Amino acid sequence: MRKVIVGNHAVSWGVKLARAEVIAAYPITPQTQIVEELSEMCASGELKARFIKVESEHSAMAACVGASATGARAFTASSSQGLALMHEMLHWAGSGRLPIVMADVNRALGPGWNIWTDQTDSLAQRDTGWIQLYCETNQEVLDTTIMAFRLAEQVDLPVMVVLDAFFLSHTAEPVDIPDQELVDRFLPPRRARYKLDVDDPHSYGALVRPDDYMEMRWHLQDAMHDAVARFDGVETEWATLVGRSYGAVESYRTEDADIALVTSGTITSTARHVIDQHRENGEKIGLVKIKMFRPFPTDALRLALAGIDRVAVLDRNFSPGQGGIFAAELRSALYDLPAEDRPAIYGYVLGLGGRDVTPAVIDGIIDHVRMPGIPARADLWVGVKA
Amino acid sequence: MSAGCSLLWTGAEEDDRVFDLHDWEGAEPRWCPGCGDLSVLTAMQRLAVAEQFVPETTVFVSGIGCSSRFPHYMKAYGFHGIHGRALPVATGVKLSRPELTVFVAMGDGDCTSIGAAHWLHMIRYNIDVTALLMDNNIYGLTKKQSSPTTPQGFASNTAPRGSWLPALDPIQATLGVTNASFVAQTAEWVPAHLYATLRAAYHHKGFSFVRILQRCPQYTDSIYKEAVRKPSIVELLVHENGLTVPELDRLYTNQRRHDPRDLDEARRLAEASDVIRLGIFFQDESRPRYDLIRALPQRTVEEKIRLMNEELDRYAV
Ligand SMILES: Cc1ncc(C[n+]2csc(CCOP(=O)(O)OP(=O)(O)O)c2C)c(N)n1
Ligand code: SF4
Ligand SMILES: [Mg+2]
Repeated sequence: MRKVIVGNHAVSWGVKLARAEVIAAYPITPQTQIVEELSEMCASGELKARFIKVESEHSAMAACVGASATGARAFTASSSQGLALMHEMLHWAGSGRLPIVMADVNRALGPGWNIWTDQTDSLAQRDTGWIQLYCETNQEVLDTTIMAFRLAEQVDLPVMVVLDAFFLSHTAEPVDIPDQELVDRFLPPRRARYKLDVDDPHSYGALVRPDDYMEMRWHLQDAMHDAVARFDGVETEWATLVGRSYGAVESYRTEDADIALVTSGTITSTARHVIDQHRENGEKIGLVKIKMFRPFPTDALRLALAGIDRVAVLDRNFSPGQGGIFAAELRSALYDLPAEDRPAIYGYVLGLGGRDVTPAVIDGIIDHVRMPGIPARADLWVGVKA
Repeated sequence: MSAGCSLLWTGAEEDDRVFDLHDWEGAEPRWCPGCGDLSVLTAMQRLAVAEQFVPETTVFVSGIGCSSRFPHYMKAYGFHGIHGRALPVATGVKLSRPELTVFVAMGDGDCTSIGAAHWLHMIRYNIDVTALLMDNNIYGLTKKQSSPTTPQGFASNTAPRGSWLPALDPIQATLGVTNASFVAQTAEWVPAHLYATLRAAYHHKGFSFVRILQRCPQYTDSIYKEAVRKPSIVELLVHENGLTVPELDRLYTNQRRHDPRDLDEARRLAEASDVIRLGIFFQDESRPRYDLIRALPQRTVEEKIRLMNEELDRYAV
């Protein structure tokens, strides 16, 4: 079935098709429509899930943690301040190895109240033990939501599906909605390896002494490592059913390129268009899109950027005192390469708080990055008013 | 004001300025036409003039929500904070600057949902702050999701077939917390009552909690329609130890004498009934106040002179 839907509803559809069993959420702009649609689906009986209207995001994630610990498939969604308020429970989900799926609609953090898109909210949750998958289109949002449950349950890690405020959340696009029967084949009911079960008693959250804590963290790291390969497998399976896949990393017109842009989220679509124009002029320039931020796809990126001289990373996010977060991650992922194989990395911070990133802005970056002799820097701020 | 000035603050200053309504008008309100928050703003501006608040020693702290835009519209110090956290922010302001007059504006989501834990503790701390709960029974800013005070059965975007549980009653809840000291309910569509209640809350020494029944024509229009039209379903709690609003006597004939010192009776009156009760349910100024118990000792004259000299030395050439 093909429907024209907004990105928020693409999430809701994905969650419905994945047959989530418990949904707990608190409203916040621009996420609200995701849960409003799901509460309607639950109320009408289309989706047989328990919808819990909680009193805050901290409680939303706590309820998901509890539900997931009983073996249920749990989902929530949030944005910005709401995600920040969940922070403590995000750690619980990650280190508790609970395969919860959540959608984060990227929105700038306050103060400086702003409801528009900015990736700093999700990237600030980098170290909580969540897999993070960024999306470019509403179709990708729907597909990723369904795949997220599959991946989460394979590696016992929570997954965050990330989409841009308004550019995706509130923008309608045609989306192919797969049949339930097909999704059921791809995603069987959850069979939890560990759960709260009266017949097989376990408890969660015991004190772990220094002689075991590190091993717990090692297992988490190991699962993250595993998730890189598992994601490829999940995508391959999904592709055989629906004919679509995205890749943890996607290369776009990078063959023989000297320069590559590195993007994530909806900036990618604008950048594709810009790359096409430069290619028409015969310029050797391409694009690498990062979909998976955690675990960081180091090997795939090394491969994708092999032979490139200069890389311009477009970061709609920033870490105060450092710079763009994707740029910093990419730099450390490539640092161990032999010097002659290492591209120069230029980190551009742009589009914060929803500021428009137009083709002209990206053209400006391309003009800048190819200037002869220009030193590589992490903190190139684009378009800041004097 | 710099920290240095605050050290030198003497409290009572010679001040011959007079502030009129105009002086209290901040930004142009962006609430919907007919929004009850507008009446609350008007009453507060009236009170500011009547009591001659001083703008630079008056602070409005809020959370996030339609109602939390309040500080933008009062020309005083404002802190438009974080959803649910207005009360702890106000606590910080008041404890570090006890001479300031601190008001808190919250919505029902802010106070009774995401910020509920702070509400409970603020009642117990009994810090001298006046809190206005603008209760429109819904999350207004995010466009119609059920809040804890949404009436049972009322449909919203998160409860399409109606809210499942009986609404939380903020007056009952507040009266149940240890060390409550001022608990009142009013309605923004009865301006005289609203004004008298805000005035009493402002004069109360300790934490004043005022629940203001607030119309939201956008999302919960039906809830107070009947009460607005029919004063007979409203019961005013009147008492010489609490509130009397003589100008309402003709319209609001349904009145009950209730001495706000009587906590048991207050709790009984707060139980659900078929009338809407407006008035001071409970007041007791003798309850312990955290802001007084934890106050730093007054500075001696010698200390003040030393601090003043230090401050002046910073500017010495
Ligand atoms: C941590 C967090 N979660 C959610 C939100 C989104 N949000 C903003 S206001 C609001 C509720 C507003 O309702 P209420 O407090 O009753 O105020 P009203 O708008 O009705 O005056 C919500 C859920 C937020 N800003 N921050
Ligand atoms: S939505 Fe309701 S509470 Fe918000 S401004 Fe409009 S009328 Fe007032
Ligand atoms: Mg409200």
